Amino acid sequence: MNLFKRAVIVVICLLLIPFVAVATAGAKQRFEDGPNRVFSGGPLVAGELYSGSEPDWSFVSEIPTIEMQLLNPSQSRRIWIAEYENKIYVWSGYMGNPIGRIWKQWPIQAERDGRAVIRINGVRYERQLQRLKSGDVLDGLTAIITAKYPSATTRAAIEVGDVWLFEAAPRG
Amino acid sequence: MKNFYIFTATAIVITIFTVLFVPGADDYVERIFQIYLGRAAR
Repeated sequence: MNLFKRAVIVVICLLLIPFVAVATAGAKQRFEDGPNRVFSGGPLVAGELYSGSEPDWSFVSEIPTIEMQLLNPSQSRRIWIAEYENKIYVWSGYMGNPIGRIWKQWPIQAERDGRAVIRINGVRYERQLQRLKSGDVLDGLTAIITAKYPSATTRAAIEVGDVWLFEAAPRG
Repeated sequence: MKNFYIFTATAIVITIFTVLFVPGADDYVERIFQIYLGRAAR
């Protein structure tokens, strides 16, 4: 029994080292200007703040990921983006999965307060995230998404809540 | 066990300083974490 107890302590201590590494890297990223991979970053500070009429978003089809920051809380993350009929959309998968919902807090936060800033090619855009749960637009949009990314995003997945989809609309 | 605890504490301190100050170490940790997180969420 004593041997078993010691073995458990050794395993816990050894697991503590990678846990500390991950926690430290995550905490460090919070103080950076923007995200890196999965860890949230700090507010998006650098880059010109775009002002003017709505841009032609077709260039987004060539952009693999963007940085997006919510105003509340002011944390940023790196996410995929799609353009459809000159509107831009962001989404989060794994929302039907308990681990996914722990990992992906931003969709829940964005539904409460959708004010956001996105940074693409070093330019920041003020946007308002508006969740879409249904509609015929989902057919064309999910076709664009699955053509662009190795994604299982379908209209059905959005409608049942496995994927949370937001239009990043102009902030009024 | 005392030596093991000292080893663990030392390893943790070294880990923290490495991730904080060694260039690329934080990105390496995040990349590995991303792989395991992605698997767990599927």
